[in-house]
Amino acid sequence: MKVLYSEIKELVPGLKAAPKEVGEALTLTGFMMDGFTEVTYKGKKDYLLSLEIRQNRADCLSVIGIAQEVAAYYNLKLSIPTVKPIAKNTKKLDIKIEAKKETRRVLAIKLDDVKNIESPEWLKDYMSFYGLNSAGLLVDLSNYVMMATGYPSHLIDYDKTEGSICWSINNNFKEITTLLGSVTKLNNNEIIIRDNNNVLALAGIIGGKTDSIDINTKSIVVEIAIYDRSIIRKNSRSLSITTEASRRLEKDLDPNGADYAMKMLISLILKYTGGKVSSSLFSYYPKKYIAPKIQFDKELPSKLAGIEISPKDTLKILKGLNFKVISKNNKLTIIPPTSRMDVALPEDLAEEVIRIYGYDRIPTNETPCLEIVKNITPKNIVLAEKIRDILTSLGFDETLSWPLTQKGINDKFNYSDLKEITTQNSVNDLFPHLRQSIAAGLLNQMTEYFKKGVEYIDIFEIGKVFGEKDKNYLEHESLGILSATKNNTLPQFKDKTESLLRLIGFEDVKYFKSNLKPNISNPESCWDIFVNNQNIGIIYKLSPSETKLNIYFAEFDIEKITKMLTKIDNNPVVELTQKLIPLDVNIELDEKNSIFEYLDNLEKKINKKNIWSINIADIYQMKGKKRYTLRVTYEELSDKEAKEIHLKTFGLNNV
Amino acid sequence: MTEEQVKILLEELKTDLQSAESSAAITKLWHKYFSDTGSFKLLIKKIKDLPAEEKKTTALIIQQAYKEAQDLFTEKEKSIKGGELSGNIKSQSENINPIAPKIGHLHPISKTIREMNELFVSMGFSIMDGPEIETDEFCFQRLNVPADHPARDMQDTIYIKEPDFLLRTQTSSIEAQVLAKYKPPFKIVCPGKSYRNESVNKSNHFVFHQYQGVVVTEKANMKDLFGTFQVLFKKMYGEDVVTRYRNKYYPEVEPGVGPDMQCFNCHGKGCPLCKGVGWIEMGGAGIIHPNVMKMAGIDTKKYVGFAFGLGLDRWVMAKYKITDIRTLLGGNLGYKYYENESII
Repeated sequence: MKVLYSEIKELVPGLKAAPKEVGEALTLTGFMMDGFTEVTYKGKKDYLLSLEIRQNRADCLSVIGIAQEVAAYYNLKLSIPTVKPIAKNTKKLDIKIEAKKETRRVLAIKLDDVKNIESPEWLKDYMSFYGLNSAGLLVDLSNYVMMATGYPSHLIDYDKTEGSICWSINNNFKEITTLLGSVTKLNNNEIIIRDNNNVLALAGIIGGKTDSIDINTKSIVVEIAIYDRSIIRKNSRSLSITTEASRRLEKDLDPNGADYAMKMLISLILKYTGGKVSSSLFSYYPKKYIAPKIQFDKELPSKLAGIEISPKDTLKILKGLNFKVISKNNKLTIIPPTSRMDVALPEDLAEEVIRIYGYDRIPTNETPCLEIVKNITPKNIVLAEKIRDILTSLGFDETLSWPLTQKGINDKFNYSDLKEITTQNSVNDLFPHLRQSIAAGLLNQMTEYFKKGVEYIDIFEIGKVFGEKDKNYLEHESLGILSATKNNTLPQFKDKTESLLRLIGFEDVKYFKSNLKPNISNPESCWDIFVNNQNIGIIYKLSPSETKLNIYFAEFDIEKITKMLTKIDNNPVVELTQKLIPLDVNIELDEKNSIFEYLDNLEKKINKKNIWSINIADIYQMKGKKRYTLRVTYEELSDKEAKEIHLKTFGLNNV
Repeated sequence: MTEEQVKILLEELKTDLQSAESSAAITKLWHKYFSDTGSFKLLIKKIKDLPAEEKKTTALIIQQAYKEAQDLFTEKEKSIKGGELSGNIKSQSENINPIAPKIGHLHPISKTIREMNELFVSMGFSIMDGPEIETDEFCFQRLNVPADHPARDMQDTIYIKEPDFLLRTQTSSIEAQVLAKYKPPFKIVCPGKSYRNESVNKSNHFVFHQYQGVVVTEKANMKDLFGTFQVLFKKMYGEDVVTRYRNKYYPEVEPGVGPDMQCFNCHGKGCPLCKGVGWIEMGGAGIIHPNVMKMAGIDTKKYVGFAFGLGLDRWVMAKYKITDIRTLLGGNLGYKYYENESII
């Protein structure tokens, strides 16, 4: 919204503040000045302030609304121009309101013998400040009143209409040629103004060509209407037409204010174009808007601001904003003007008081006095941070990628039984699906790094992955780790990822051939990772790629890990004075058998009481077999006892 | 045993020592001359068997010769072992590798979040997260943004299943989740991803990062909110940071606050970076709207809260001199492989 300093000054005659100062005051009170230009208006130096208007302040999309703010801020009187009452006429206009639910108020009147001449220079200049082309005196005056009061009006060339003028929901017009000459296809649910044959306007948005004002116009119908704002917004969006009118009418605009705007417009038209009123004023207003009565605690502004704002200042500010203050039996009732449709609660009133009192009067240099409260940080957040530390210490770089992916990507990387989730309306239609694995993003990153000659590609990402099951949308935080190298091997990569698991606190890490393998994986090199007999992730080598790199990927469900970690109570330390007895045993397994399965069975079978640790000390490849050297370390036993148990456990008595 | 024989033995030792070149040879000579069966040791042993009249003179000769032999041997042994040690030192020496090691890096967004988290944790805040697939209820309704509210114009939503399921458009949805699930008092910050239905270009992205803060206690107020912001701004931008707080509209707060920072590029004069206004908008904040509190079942007579939301990506871009927002989530972010930022 742009406003001339001279206009504000005309409405606030006592204003002494310089133009820029006024802009800064408006900025602090909620209307940020994002432009300040020196201009010439009516032969004098003037200033055009460009202000960002709050979404809920339709009243301030007007010079009068802004002037009211300035008057309240400087505690000055607002002097709104008086307008003449509309001359009486008993002839009724033929108007019908069919869209009763969507139309909150309609005012309409007919004027005859108007002369649509060229606008005077000042009005042309005025239009140019708002980026509007002068379109003849009648339309310019209509726009002038819109800027002054905030109410858009629509002028209909009466002689071009046939039959009654009707507000209805479109159900038969396929298109409209707007007054700008463009043809817009209609969707059959817009609120329109029509006569017996033609659509005259897209109500609240733009007029039609059929009834538009031209140089020969003599007889006009002036209408100002307020609608259900949501239908204007919907229509404006679906037809991709945004105008000064739609910008105002898609907000909460006070229907009561239409009377003043209509009187101002009629008096200006009659003054500048001549003519006469030739009908009675049509008014449709089924449900009058009445301002709320708000019980108000004078202490509330101080409580919310955290500084002392006296009741005297509070009441002065509210009165300055034209709020009605009723004090009865020590209780305060405040009634905002109907133009302030954003004010309904005591907190709304408190905001009014604090913003006019001045946000800049609230100190910023005091240490906040906040209560001590319980730490409720969930463990998965703490864990994710720890994982970042460990992986960066292991030489991995963190990356972030798009959680939305292209078609076909999840087919390559998914290894869950969840269905893919697709967005309905993303403008990035090449990326419609939510990722099911972190792998795709890391692989993209790898490809970029490879192209750019980055030597070490050890990367990880922590982020959400998604999937649908039984019509429920599921997501969990996931960790993906990728390593691409010419020389390294899967065991080397696994050592790093397993170091991570062990540093987090897991002792029992095992690998079993995956049941659900991602298509991108080498099916012969794809394992599920189990910790304490629960599947927490996957590790695999990617299928041979063009890059000739060995690419390894591992992914962990951070939320699953977090749940398990809360139950673990490891004690990885021992006093070295305590006697530990390591004894080896060789196990030969057929190549297709898993050592982890063997260990699983072993653990179920043996008495773990005196066993401090079991680990694989060596692997020897034989023909069709593998020989594993297991090192079992016993504690709190004599050499003899340990040996006896060892021999018994591994069935070595007869050897 | 004649004096002559002793001399011959000594000469023999001298010759042997001369030809000895290794520790092994020296050890061999030690055995030949000085072990229990060694020639000199045997000489010494023989002294006790000499006739009394020879004992005095010959014993002296033998002892002198033995001492001379020992000295000759020790000298040679030292020279050989010393030579060998210096050879070993050389052969086993190692040099420093001039190639810097590869170290790992955190993403600049994680780093920035950490810096901010550290500050807030030191002030007793907890860190929270919430779902990225949200419901209309938690993303809008519970934040006082009804279905037809103009505030929805500000944020185009990516829907999973219109109108109920969507990708969260703001981290305020985490606020709504926490308000619903936890009993006050609490102080939380929630860094996280948000989604808007925007085309991807140099300055806009459909996914971006926000940092939300929520405090619900018995006495929270705007002075505390401003104080909290000031502490944050000083940590992130230094002690000299200039800020202003202005009234701003957000449906989930009342009163609403727009915190601005004086443009670090032009110091308030106006430049292209701040679009000529001299200030950079840092986010939104305010006292939590009573409707939001009531919808979460919080007693507004007892508790009051403030909330703030900041855009993280631009902070990070300014700090790390990144000019294209796509770099943050694309393949274009490179790390100097051997260098990280100071952690202090």
